[in-house]
Amino acid sequence: MGKIVVPFGSQHVALPEPISFLFDTENEIITKVEAHIGYVHRGIEKAAITRFEYNQLPYLTARVCGLCSITHAGAVVHGIEKLMDIEVNKRIDYLRMLVVELDRIHSHMLANGHVAEVVGYENLFMQTFRAREDVMDVLERITGNRVQYDYQTIGGVARDIDLETAEFAKKKLKKLKENVLKVMEFHDSDYTFGLKTKGVGVISKEMAAKYNTAGPIARASGLETDVRAEFDYLPFEEVGYKMQTRKEGDVWARNMVRFDEVLNSIEMCENILDNLPQGEHQVKVKGRPKGETVVRVEAPRGECFYYLKASGKKVMDRVRIRVPTYANIPILKELFLGAKYSDAQAIVLSFDPCMSCTAR
Amino acid sequence: MLKMFIESLKNLVSEPETIKYPFEPSPEPKGYRGTIHYNEELCIFCDKCENICPPGAIKFVVVDYETGKKEYNYNPYLCIYCGACVRECPKADEGCLVQVETRTPPLGRSVPKGKELGYFINRIDNPKEVESKWREIEELNIKTKEEYKAYKKAKRAQKAAAKAKGEE
Ligand code: SF4
Ligand code: SF4
Repeated sequence: MGKIVVPFGSQHVALPEPISFLFDTENEIITKVEAHIGYVHRGIEKAAITRFEYNQLPYLTARVCGLCSITHAGAVVHGIEKLMDIEVNKRIDYLRMLVVELDRIHSHMLANGHVAEVVGYENLFMQTFRAREDVMDVLERITGNRVQYDYQTIGGVARDIDLETAEFAKKKLKKLKENVLKVMEFHDSDYTFGLKTKGVGVISKEMAAKYNTAGPIARASGLETDVRAEFDYLPFEEVGYKMQTRKEGDVWARNMVRFDEVLNSIEMCENILDNLPQGEHQVKVKGRPKGETVVRVEAPRGECFYYLKASGKKVMDRVRIRVPTYANIPILKELFLGAKYSDAQAIVLSFDPCMSCTAR
Repeated sequence: MLKMFIESLKNLVSEPETIKYPFEPSPEPKGYRGTIHYNEELCIFCDKCENICPPGAIKFVVVDYETGKKEYNYNPYLCIYCGACVRECPKADEGCLVQVETRTPPLGRSVPKGKELGYFINRIDNPKEVESKWREIEELNIKTKEEYKAYKKAKRAQKAAAKAKGEE
Protein backbone atom coordinates (compact mmCIF):
# COMPACT_ATOMS: atom_id res chain seq x y z
CA MET A 1 0.00 0.00 0.00
CA GLY A 2 2.36 2.67 -1.21
CA LYS A 3 1.85 6.30 -1.97
CA ILE A 4 0.37 7.17 -5.35
CA VAL A 5 0.48 10.65 -6.80
CA VAL A 6 -2.64 11.53 -8.76
CA PRO A 7 -2.63 14.64 -10.89
CA PHE A 8 -5.97 16.44 -11.10
CA GLY A 9 -5.90 19.12 -13.76
CA SER A 10 -4.79 21.32 -15.30
CA GLN A 11 -7.06 19.78 -17.92
CA HIS A 12 -9.71 17.56 -16.44
CA VAL A 13 -13.26 16.73 -17.45
CA ALA A 14 -14.61 17.98 -14.15
CA LEU A 15 -12.85 21.31 -14.34
CA PRO A 16 -14.37 24.21 -16.20
CA GLU A 17 -11.13 26.14 -15.91
CA PRO A 18 -7.48 25.19 -15.60
CA ILE A 19 -6.19 24.63 -12.10
CA SER A 20 -3.90 21.81 -11.17
CA PHE A 21 -3.78 19.75 -8.00
CA LEU A 22 -1.26 17.07 -7.24
CA PHE A 23 -2.73 14.63 -4.75
CA ASP A 24 -0.61 12.23 -2.76
CA THR A 25 -3.00 9.41 -2.04
CA GLU A 26 -2.76 6.38 0.18
CA ASN A 27 -5.47 3.86 -0.36
CA GLU A 28 -7.83 6.42 -1.92
CA ILE A 29 -7.30 8.82 0.98
CA ILE A 30 -5.58 12.08 0.17
CA THR A 31 -2.59 12.75 2.37
CA LYS A 32 -0.96 15.73 0.74
CA VAL A 33 -2.00 18.25 -1.86
CA GLU A 34 -0.22 20.80 -3.96
CA ALA A 35 -2.08 23.45 -5.96
CA HIS A 36 -0.99 25.48 -8.96
CA ILE A 37 -3.25 28.29 -10.02
CA GLY A 38 -1.54 30.53 -12.53
CA TYR A 39 -2.51 28.95 -15.84
CA VAL A 40 -4.60 31.75 -17.22
CA HIS A 41 -2.54 34.75 -16.25
CA ARG A 42 -3.09 37.53 -18.77
CA GLY A 43 -1.44 40.46 -17.07
CA ILE A 44 -4.59 42.50 -16.74
CA GLU A 45 -3.36 44.50 -13.74
CA LYS A 46 -0.33 45.58 -15.72
CA ALA A 47 -2.37 46.37 -18.81
CA ALA A 48 -4.65 48.51 -16.66
CA ILE A 49 -1.79 50.82 -15.74
CA THR A 50 -0.02 50.92 -19.08
CA ARG A 51 -2.17 50.40 -22.14
CA PHE A 52 -5.58 51.53 -21.02
CA GLU A 53 -6.92 54.86 -19.89
CA TYR A 54 -9.16 55.19 -16.88
CA ASN A 55 -12.35 55.44 -18.93
CA GLN A 56 -11.54 52.22 -20.74
CA LEU A 57 -10.95 50.28 -17.53
CA PRO A 58 -14.54 49.06 -17.07
CA TYR A 59 -14.30 47.32 -20.43
CA LEU A 60 -10.93 45.84 -19.57
CA THR A 61 -11.78 44.55 -16.10
CA ALA A 62 -15.03 43.12 -17.41
CA ARG A 63 -12.78 40.70 -19.25
CA VAL A 64 -11.10 39.46 -16.09
CA CYS A 65 -13.81 36.84 -15.89
CA GLY A 66 -16.69 35.76 -18.06
CA LEU A 67 -18.99 34.90 -15.20
CA CYS A 68 -18.68 37.96 -13.02
CA SER A 69 -17.87 40.52 -15.68
CA ILE A 70 -20.56 42.73 -14.18
CA THR A 71 -18.95 42.57 -10.76
CA HIS A 72 -15.53 43.57 -11.98
CA ALA A 73 -16.76 46.37 -14.19
CA GLY A 74 -19.01 47.55 -11.35
CA ALA A 75 -16.17 47.56 -8.85
CA VAL A 76 -13.84 49.60 -10.99
CA VAL A 77 -16.62 51.99 -11.97
CA HIS A 78 -17.52 52.48 -8.33
CA GLY A 79 -13.91 53.14 -7.41
CA ILE A 80 -13.31 55.64 -10.21
CA GLU A 81 -16.54 57.43 -9.38
CA LYS A 82 -15.33 57.75 -5.81
CA LEU A 83 -12.06 59.21 -7.03
CA MET A 84 -13.83 61.67 -9.32
CA ASP A 85 -16.52 62.62 -6.79
CA ILE A 86 -19.38 61.60 -9.04
CA GLU A 87 -22.77 61.12 -7.44
CA VAL A 88 -25.11 58.93 -9.44
CA ASN A 89 -28.85 59.03 -9.13
CA LYS A 90 -31.17 56.39 -7.72
CA ARG A 91 -32.19 55.00 -11.08
CA ILE A 92 -28.61 54.21 -12.00
CA ASP A 93 -28.11 52.53 -8.63
CA TYR A 94 -31.17 50.41 -9.16
CA LEU A 95 -30.27 49.42 -12.70
CA ARG A 96 -26.80 48.47 -11.54
CA MET A 97 -28.23 46.42 -8.72
CA LEU A 98 -30.51 44.68 -11.18
CA VAL A 99 -27.68 43.46 -13.38
CA VAL A 100 -25.49 42.59 -10.40
CA GLU A 101 -28.20 40.33 -9.02
CA LEU A 102 -28.99 38.78 -12.39
CA ASP A 103 -25.29 38.08 -12.73
CA ARG A 104 -25.32 36.37 -9.35
CA ILE A 105 -28.25 34.23 -10.37
CA HIS A 106 -26.66 32.92 -13.52
CA SER A 107 -23.31 32.35 -11.85
CA HIS A 108 -24.85 30.39 -8.98
CA MET A 109 -26.94 28.31 -11.36
CA LEU A 110 -23.82 27.44 -13.31
CA ALA A 111 -21.95 26.44 -10.15
CA ASN A 112 -24.76 24.23 -8.93
CA GLY A 113 -25.09 22.64 -12.32
CA HIS A 114 -21.41 21.76 -12.32
CA VAL A 115 -21.63 20.20 -8.87
CA ALA A 116 -24.57 18.10 -10.04
CA GLU A 117 -22.57 16.97 -13.02
CA VAL A 118 -19.50 15.82 -11.11
CA VAL A 119 -21.51 13.84 -8.58
CA GLY A 120 -22.97 11.93 -11.49
CA TYR A 121 -26.20 13.70 -12.30
CA GLU A 122 -25.79 14.70 -15.90
CA ASN A 123 -29.52 15.11 -16.17
CA LEU A 124 -29.76 17.51 -13.26
CA PHE A 125 -26.92 19.48 -14.76
CA MET A 126 -28.91 19.87 -17.95
CA GLN A 127 -32.05 20.87 -16.09
CA THR A 128 -30.15 23.49 -14.12
CA PHE A 129 -28.56 24.92 -17.21
CA ARG A 130 -31.82 24.94 -19.05
CA ALA A 131 -33.35 26.99 -16.27
CA ARG A 132 -30.31 29.23 -16.30
CA GLU A 133 -30.91 30.08 -19.93
CA ASP A 134 -33.85 32.26 -18.89
CA VAL A 135 -31.70 34.60 -16.86
CA MET A 136 -29.13 34.72 -19.66
CA ASP A 137 -31.92 35.83 -21.98
CA VAL A 138 -32.92 38.56 -19.57
CA LEU A 139 -29.37 39.84 -19.30
CA GLU A 140 -28.96 39.70 -23.05
CA ARG A 141 -32.10 41.71 -23.52
CA ILE A 142 -31.13 44.32 -20.93
CA THR A 143 -27.49 44.76 -21.85
CA GLY A 144 -27.34 43.61 -25.47
CA ASN A 145 -24.90 40.77 -25.14
CA ARG A 146 -24.67 37.36 -23.55
CA VAL A 147 -21.37 37.24 -21.72
CA GLN A 148 -19.60 40.55 -22.01
CA TYR A 149 -22.26 42.88 -20.78
CA ASP A 150 -20.31 46.17 -20.69
CA TYR A 151 -23.25 47.69 -18.91
CA GLN A 152 -21.79 49.88 -16.19
CA THR A 153 -19.93 52.90 -17.44
CA ILE A 154 -18.38 55.74 -15.49
CA GLY A 155 -21.28 57.97 -14.53
CA GLY A 156 -24.12 55.62 -15.30
CA VAL A 157 -25.18 52.61 -17.25
CA ALA A 158 -24.92 51.98 -20.97
CA ARG A 159 -28.62 51.98 -21.73
CA ASP A 160 -31.93 52.45 -20.07
CA ILE A 161 -34.52 49.75 -19.62
CA ASP A 162 -37.88 50.10 -21.34
CA LEU A 163 -41.25 48.80 -20.24
CA GLU A 164 -41.28 45.94 -22.69
CA THR A 165 -37.93 44.66 -21.46
CA ALA A 166 -39.05 44.96 -17.86
CA GLU A 167 -42.15 42.89 -18.62
CA PHE A 168 -40.04 40.33 -20.45
CA ALA A 169 -37.67 40.11 -17.49
CA LYS A 170 -40.49 39.69 -15.01
CA LYS A 171 -42.02 36.89 -17.03
CA LYS A 172 -38.73 35.07 -17.37
CA LEU A 173 -37.89 35.49 -13.69
CA LYS A 174 -41.20 33.97 -12.71
CA LYS A 175 -40.50 30.94 -14.85
CA LEU A 176 -37.00 30.73 -13.46
CA LYS A 177 -38.29 30.75 -9.92
CA GLU A 178 -40.53 27.76 -10.59
CA ASN A 179 -37.67 25.87 -12.14
CA VAL A 180 -35.30 26.70 -9.29
CA LEU A 181 -37.82 25.46 -6.74
CA LYS A 182 -38.14 22.23 -8.69
CA VAL A 183 -34.41 21.64 -8.79
CA MET A 184 -34.09 22.64 -5.15
CA GLU A 185 -36.68 20.12 -4.10
CA PHE A 186 -34.72 17.46 -5.86
CA HIS A 187 -31.59 18.49 -3.99
CA ASP A 188 -33.56 18.24 -0.79
CA SER A 189 -35.21 14.90 -1.32
CA ASP A 190 -33.00 12.70 -3.44
CA TYR A 191 -31.29 9.99 -1.44
CA THR A 192 -28.40 9.20 -3.78
CA PHE A 193 -27.62 12.84 -4.35
CA GLY A 194 -27.47 13.21 -0.58
CA LEU A 195 -25.01 10.34 -0.27
CA LYS A 196 -22.65 12.06 -2.66
CA THR A 197 -22.91 15.53 -1.18
CA LYS A 198 -24.09 15.48 2.43
CA GLY A 199 -21.29 15.31 4.95
CA VAL A 200 -18.67 15.68 2.21
CA GLY A 201 -16.05 18.37 2.61
CA VAL A 202 -17.43 19.78 5.82
CA ILE A 203 -16.20 23.19 6.96
CA SER A 204 -17.10 24.15 10.50
CA LYS A 205 -17.92 27.71 11.39
CA GLU A 206 -14.68 28.07 13.34
CA MET A 207 -12.66 26.76 10.43
CA ALA A 208 -14.42 29.12 8.04
CA ALA A 209 -13.62 32.07 10.29
CA LYS A 210 -10.03 30.98 10.88
CA TYR A 211 -9.24 30.62 7.18
CA ASN A 212 -11.09 33.78 6.26
CA THR A 213 -13.31 32.16 3.69
CA ALA A 214 -15.54 34.33 1.57
CA GLY A 215 -18.92 34.23 -0.04
CA PRO A 216 -21.34 31.31 -0.19
CA ILE A 217 -18.67 28.94 1.15
CA ALA A 218 -18.52 30.89 4.40
CA ARG A 219 -22.26 31.36 4.55
CA ALA A 220 -22.87 27.65 4.06
CA SER A 221 -20.98 27.13 7.31
CA GLY A 222 -23.08 29.66 9.16
CA LEU A 223 -20.55 32.47 9.05
CA GLU A 224 -22.39 35.71 8.46
CA THR A 225 -20.28 37.57 5.97
CA ASP A 226 -21.54 39.38 2.93
CA VAL A 227 -20.17 42.59 1.50
CA ARG A 228 -23.64 43.61 0.43
CA ALA A 229 -24.45 44.02 4.10
CA GLU A 230 -21.08 45.40 5.17
CA PHE A 231 -20.07 47.93 2.52
CA ASP A 232 -22.61 50.36 1.16
CA TYR A 233 -21.86 50.56 -2.51
CA LEU A 234 -25.42 49.96 -3.63
CA PRO A 235 -28.63 50.15 -1.56
CA PHE A 236 -29.29 46.40 -1.42
CA GLU A 237 -31.31 46.54 1.80
CA GLU A 238 -33.91 48.78 0.12
CA VAL A 239 -34.87 46.10 -2.36
CA GLY A 240 -35.17 43.22 0.05
CA TYR A 241 -31.73 41.79 0.49
CA LYS A 242 -31.49 39.13 3.20
CA MET A 243 -28.38 37.28 4.29
CA GLN A 244 -28.68 33.58 3.50
CA THR A 245 -26.88 31.09 5.71
CA ARG A 246 -26.92 27.35 6.31
CA LYS A 247 -25.30 25.43 9.11
CA GLU A 248 -24.09 22.15 7.64
CA GLY A 249 -21.04 23.45 5.79
CA ASP A 250 -20.83 20.54 3.35
CA VAL A 251 -21.08 20.33 -0.42
CA TRP A 252 -24.84 20.07 -0.21
CA ALA A 253 -25.17 23.15 1.99
CA ARG A 254 -23.02 25.18 -0.35
CA ASN A 255 -25.35 24.30 -3.20
CA MET A 256 -28.38 25.09 -1.11
CA VAL A 257 -27.01 28.44 0.03
CA ARG A 258 -26.51 29.33 -3.58
CA PHE A 259 -30.07 28.36 -4.39
CA ASP A 260 -31.33 30.37 -1.43
CA GLU A 261 -29.42 33.33 -2.77
CA VAL A 262 -30.83 32.80 -6.24
CA LEU A 263 -34.33 32.96 -4.78
CA ASN A 264 -33.46 36.06 -2.79
CA SER A 265 -31.94 37.67 -5.88
CA ILE A 266 -35.01 36.90 -7.95
CA GLU A 267 -37.09 38.61 -5.30
CA MET A 268 -34.76 41.60 -5.33
CA CYS A 269 -34.87 41.84 -9.12
CA GLU A 270 -38.64 41.76 -9.08
CA ASN A 271 -38.69 44.51 -6.48
CA ILE A 272 -36.31 46.59 -8.55
CA LEU A 273 -38.35 46.14 -11.70
CA ASP A 274 -41.51 47.13 -9.87
CA ASN A 275 -40.04 50.18 -8.16
CA LEU A 276 -37.64 51.71 -10.64
CA PRO A 277 -37.11 55.36 -9.69
CA GLN A 278 -37.33 58.00 -12.39
CA GLY A 279 -34.24 59.70 -13.72
CA GLU A 280 -31.56 59.75 -16.36
CA HIS A 281 -29.39 56.72 -16.94
CA GLN A 282 -26.24 58.80 -17.28
CA VAL A 283 -24.91 61.71 -15.23
CA LYS A 284 -22.40 64.31 -16.35
CA VAL A 285 -18.77 63.36 -15.85
CA LYS A 286 -15.96 65.87 -15.53
CA GLY A 287 -12.31 65.75 -14.59
CA ARG A 288 -9.89 62.95 -13.96
CA PRO A 289 -9.58 60.49 -11.09
CA LYS A 290 -7.20 61.50 -8.32
CA GLY A 291 -6.25 59.91 -5.03
CA GLU A 292 -6.51 56.37 -3.80
CA THR A 293 -9.39 54.23 -2.69
CA VAL A 294 -10.48 50.71 -1.96
CA VAL A 295 -13.66 49.06 -3.13
CA ARG A 296 -15.25 45.90 -1.83
CA VAL A 297 -18.05 44.30 -3.76
CA GLU A 298 -19.82 41.01 -3.34
CA ALA A 299 -19.05 38.91 -6.38
CA PRO A 300 -21.08 35.72 -6.81
CA ARG A 301 -18.18 33.86 -5.20
CA GLY A 302 -17.60 36.22 -2.32
CA GLU A 303 -15.76 39.39 -1.55
CA CYS A 304 -13.98 41.00 -4.46
CA PHE A 305 -11.52 43.69 -3.50
CA TYR A 306 -10.16 46.53 -5.62
CA TYR A 307 -7.45 48.99 -4.78
CA LEU A 308 -7.19 51.97 -7.12
CA LYS A 309 -4.66 54.76 -7.18
CA ALA A 310 -4.57 57.67 -9.59
CA SER A 311 -2.83 61.01 -9.80
CA GLY A 312 -4.99 63.02 -12.16
CA LYS A 313 -3.50 61.45 -15.27
CA LYS A 314 -5.31 59.53 -17.96
CA VAL A 315 -3.66 56.29 -16.94
CA MET A 316 -4.08 55.02 -13.40
CA ASP A 317 -1.10 54.42 -11.13
CA ARG A 318 -2.23 51.15 -9.68
CA VAL A 319 -5.12 48.76 -10.07
CA ARG A 320 -5.01 45.85 -7.70
CA ILE A 321 -7.61 43.11 -7.79
CA ARG A 322 -8.11 40.42 -5.20
CA VAL A 323 -10.79 37.93 -6.01
CA PRO A 324 -12.81 35.60 -3.77
CA THR A 325 -11.49 32.33 -5.16
CA TYR A 326 -8.01 33.31 -4.11
CA ALA A 327 -9.21 33.75 -0.54
CA ASN A 328 -10.83 30.33 -0.59
CA ILE A 329 -7.88 28.29 -1.77
CA PRO A 330 -6.19 27.81 1.65
CA ILE A 331 -9.25 26.15 3.12
CA LEU A 332 -9.72 24.12 -0.02
CA LYS A 333 -6.29 22.58 0.49
CA GLU A 334 -7.09 21.87 4.11
CA LEU A 335 -10.35 20.16 3.16
CA PHE A 336 -8.68 17.69 0.85
CA LEU A 337 -6.53 16.17 3.58
CA GLY A 338 -8.20 13.03 4.76
CA ALA A 339 -10.91 13.15 2.10
CA LYS A 340 -11.46 10.40 -0.42
CA TYR A 341 -10.09 11.02 -3.87
CA SER A 342 -13.48 10.25 -5.37
CA ASP A 343 -14.92 13.22 -3.46
CA ALA A 344 -12.24 15.62 -4.62
CA GLN A 345 -14.15 16.69 -7.71
CA ALA A 346 -17.29 17.51 -5.81
CA ILE A 347 -15.32 19.47 -3.23
CA VAL A 348 -13.49 21.54 -5.82
CA LEU A 349 -16.59 22.27 -7.82
CA SER A 350 -18.65 23.11 -4.76
CA PHE A 351 -16.20 25.96 -4.19
CA ASP A 352 -17.17 27.30 -7.59
CA PRO A 353 -13.56 28.15 -8.36
CA CYS A 354 -12.96 30.88 -10.89
CA MET A 355 -9.42 30.55 -12.10
CA SER A 356 -9.41 33.29 -14.68
CA CYS A 357 -10.29 35.72 -11.89
CA THR A 358 -7.61 34.31 -9.64
CA ALA A 359 -4.81 34.38 -12.18
CA ARG A 360 -6.11 37.51 -13.96
CA MET B 1 -36.69 9.92 -7.65
CA LEU B 2 -40.16 9.36 -9.03
CA LYS B 3 -40.58 13.07 -9.62
CA MET B 4 -37.36 13.25 -11.59
CA PHE B 5 -38.50 10.28 -13.63
CA ILE B 6 -41.78 11.99 -14.47
CA GLU B 7 -39.85 15.14 -15.31
CA SER B 8 -37.62 13.17 -17.67
CA LEU B 9 -40.63 11.64 -19.40
CA LYS B 10 -42.11 15.09 -19.82
CA ASN B 11 -38.89 16.28 -21.39
CA LEU B 12 -39.07 13.49 -23.92
CA VAL B 13 -42.20 14.93 -25.43
CA SER B 14 -41.72 18.65 -24.78
CA GLU B 15 -40.44 21.20 -27.27
CA PRO B 16 -36.65 21.42 -27.66
CA GLU B 17 -34.96 24.34 -25.94
CA THR B 18 -32.13 24.60 -28.43
CA ILE B 19 -31.89 25.92 -31.97
CA LYS B 20 -30.35 23.70 -34.64
CA TYR B 21 -27.83 26.31 -35.62
CA PRO B 22 -26.21 26.40 -38.27
CA PHE B 23 -29.02 24.50 -40.04
CA GLU B 24 -31.53 26.95 -38.74
CA PRO B 25 -30.93 30.66 -38.35
CA SER B 26 -30.19 31.98 -34.89
CA PRO B 27 -31.74 35.43 -34.89
CA GLU B 28 -30.33 38.26 -32.84
CA PRO B 29 -32.53 39.23 -29.90
CA LYS B 30 -34.04 42.65 -29.64
CA GLY B 31 -31.55 45.30 -28.63
CA TYR B 32 -28.54 43.23 -29.63
CA ARG B 33 -25.24 45.08 -29.74
CA GLY B 34 -24.05 44.52 -33.28
CA THR B 35 -21.88 46.17 -35.91
CA ILE B 36 -20.95 49.84 -35.77
CA HIS B 37 -22.17 51.83 -38.79
CA TYR B 38 -20.61 55.11 -39.75
CA ASN B 39 -21.78 58.02 -41.85
CA GLU B 40 -18.95 60.17 -43.12
CA GLU B 41 -21.12 63.13 -44.13
CA LEU B 42 -22.17 63.77 -40.55
CA CYS B 43 -18.79 63.25 -38.93
CA ILE B 44 -16.96 66.25 -37.50
CA PHE B 45 -13.71 64.30 -37.04
CA CYS B 46 -13.39 64.97 -33.34
CA ASP B 47 -11.58 61.65 -32.79
CA LYS B 48 -13.57 60.94 -29.65
CA CYS B 49 -14.57 57.50 -30.85
CA GLU B 50 -10.96 56.63 -31.61
CA ASN B 51 -9.80 57.73 -28.18
CA ILE B 52 -12.37 55.78 -26.18
CA CYS B 53 -12.30 52.53 -28.14
CA PRO B 54 -10.77 50.00 -25.72
CA PRO B 55 -9.23 47.58 -28.25
CA GLY B 56 -8.44 50.34 -30.74
CA ALA B 57 -10.77 49.16 -33.47
CA ILE B 58 -11.33 52.64 -34.87
CA LYS B 59 -8.36 54.43 -36.39
CA PHE B 60 -8.34 57.65 -38.35
CA VAL B 61 -5.69 58.17 -40.98
CA VAL B 62 -4.97 61.64 -42.31
CA VAL B 63 -4.82 61.37 -46.08
CA ASP B 64 -4.41 64.99 -47.10
CA TYR B 65 -2.39 67.39 -45.00
CA GLU B 66 -3.50 70.37 -47.06
CA THR B 67 -7.18 69.99 -46.20
CA GLY B 68 -6.76 67.80 -43.13
CA LYS B 69 -9.03 65.13 -44.57
CA LYS B 70 -9.21 61.98 -42.47
CA GLU B 71 -10.36 58.52 -43.33
CA TYR B 72 -12.31 56.41 -40.87
CA ASN B 73 -11.01 52.87 -40.54
CA TYR B 74 -12.97 50.32 -38.57
CA ASN B 75 -11.97 46.75 -37.93
CA PRO B 76 -15.12 44.76 -37.10
CA TYR B 77 -12.97 41.76 -36.20
CA LEU B 78 -11.14 43.62 -33.48
CA CYS B 79 -14.21 45.42 -32.17
CA ILE B 80 -15.64 44.10 -28.90
CA TYR B 81 -19.04 45.68 -29.63
CA CYS B 82 -19.08 47.56 -26.35
CA GLY B 83 -20.78 50.59 -27.87
CA ALA B 84 -18.53 53.06 -26.08
CA CYS B 85 -17.78 54.90 -29.34
CA VAL B 86 -21.46 55.52 -29.97
CA ARG B 87 -21.93 56.87 -26.45
CA GLU B 88 -18.99 59.23 -26.93
CA CYS B 89 -19.89 60.48 -30.40
CA PRO B 90 -21.36 64.01 -30.27
CA LYS B 91 -23.20 63.37 -33.54
CA ALA B 92 -24.56 59.96 -32.65
CA ASP B 93 -28.13 61.23 -32.32
CA GLU B 94 -28.05 62.37 -35.93
CA GLY B 95 -26.82 58.96 -37.02
CA CYS B 96 -23.13 59.53 -37.51
CA LEU B 97 -22.17 56.48 -35.52
CA VAL B 98 -24.80 53.85 -34.74
CA GLN B 99 -24.74 50.37 -33.36
CA VAL B 100 -27.11 48.21 -35.39
CA GLU B 101 -28.81 45.11 -34.11
CA THR B 102 -27.25 42.63 -36.53
CA ARG B 103 -24.01 40.75 -36.05
CA THR B 104 -21.02 41.08 -38.29
CA PRO B 105 -20.79 37.77 -40.20
CA PRO B 106 -17.87 35.63 -39.04
CA LEU B 107 -14.70 36.00 -41.04
CA GLY B 108 -14.90 33.15 -43.53
CA ARG B 109 -14.01 33.12 -47.19
CA SER B 110 -15.15 36.65 -47.85
CA VAL B 111 -15.06 39.98 -46.10
CA PRO B 112 -18.20 42.02 -45.53
CA LYS B 113 -18.50 45.14 -47.64
CA GLY B 114 -20.42 48.34 -47.31
CA LYS B 115 -19.85 52.06 -47.21
CA GLU B 116 -21.04 52.22 -43.62
CA LEU B 117 -18.14 50.02 -42.48
CA GLY B 118 -15.52 52.61 -43.28
CA TYR B 119 -12.53 52.50 -45.60
CA PHE B 120 -10.46 49.70 -44.13
CA ILE B 121 -12.59 46.62 -44.74
CA ASN B 122 -13.74 47.79 -48.18
CA ARG B 123 -10.16 47.82 -49.43
CA ILE B 124 -9.51 44.20 -48.49
CA ASP B 125 -10.57 41.20 -50.51
CA ASN B 126 -8.63 38.39 -48.91
CA PRO B 127 -9.82 37.61 -45.37
CA LYS B 128 -6.35 36.41 -44.46
CA GLU B 129 -5.03 39.91 -44.92
CA VAL B 130 -7.24 41.57 -42.35
CA GLU B 131 -4.73 41.25 -39.54
CA SER B 132 -1.62 42.36 -41.39
CA LYS B 133 -3.38 45.21 -43.16
CA TRP B 134 -4.79 46.42 -39.85
CA ARG B 135 -1.28 46.58 -38.42
CA GLU B 136 -0.35 48.84 -41.30
CA ILE B 137 -3.32 51.05 -40.53
CA GLU B 138 -2.26 51.29 -36.89
CA GLU B 139 1.21 52.39 -37.93
CA LEU B 140 -0.21 54.84 -40.46
CA ASN B 141 -2.51 56.22 -37.80
CA ILE B 142 0.40 57.16 -35.56
CA LYS B 143 2.65 58.31 -38.41
CA THR B 144 0.17 60.51 -40.24
CA LYS B 145 -1.03 62.09 -37.04
CA GLU B 146 2.49 63.09 -36.07
CA GLU B 147 3.26 64.35 -39.55
CA TYR B 148 0.03 66.29 -39.69
CA LYS B 149 0.87 67.91 -36.36
CA ALA B 150 4.33 68.85 -37.60
CA TYR B 151 2.82 70.15 -40.84
CA LYS B 152 0.38 72.36 -38.99
CA LYS B 153 3.13 73.65 -36.75
CA ALA B 154 5.29 74.52 -39.72
CA LYS B 155 2.33 76.20 -41.38
CA ARG B 156 1.72 78.30 -38.28
CA ALA B 157 5.36 79.26 -38.07
CA GLN B 158 5.25 80.28 -41.74
CA LYS B 159 2.22 82.40 -41.17
CA ALA B 160 3.75 84.08 -38.15
CA ALA B 161 6.91 84.79 -40.12
CA ALA B 162 4.89 86.26 -42.97
CA LYS B 163 2.96 88.38 -40.52
CA ALA B 164 6.15 89.60 -38.87
CA LYS B 165 7.51 90.49 -42.29
CA GLY B 166 4.37 92.40 -43.15
CA GLU B 167 4.61 94.43 -40.01
CA GLU B 168 8.17 95.50 -40.68
S1 SF4 C 1 -18.07 49.18 -30.13
FE1 SF4 C 1 -16.38 49.40 -28.66
S2 SF4 C 1 -14.73 48.17 -29.55
FE2 SF4 C 1 -16.22 48.51 -31.19
S3 SF4 C 1 -15.48 50.31 -32.25
FE3 SF4 C 1 -16.93 51.03 -30.70
S4 SF4 C 1 -15.66 51.50 -28.90
FE4 SF4 C 1 -14.42 50.26 -30.29
S1 SF4 D 1 -16.98 60.57 -32.39
FE1 SF4 D 1 -18.49 60.74 -34.05
S2 SF4 D 1 -18.17 62.79 -34.89
FE2 SF4 D 1 -16.37 62.33 -33.64
S3 SF4 D 1 -14.91 61.45 -35.09
FE3 SF4 D 1 -16.02 59.73 -34.22
S4 SF4 D 1 -17.71 59.38 -35.65
FE4 SF4 D 1 -16.90 61.41 -36.09
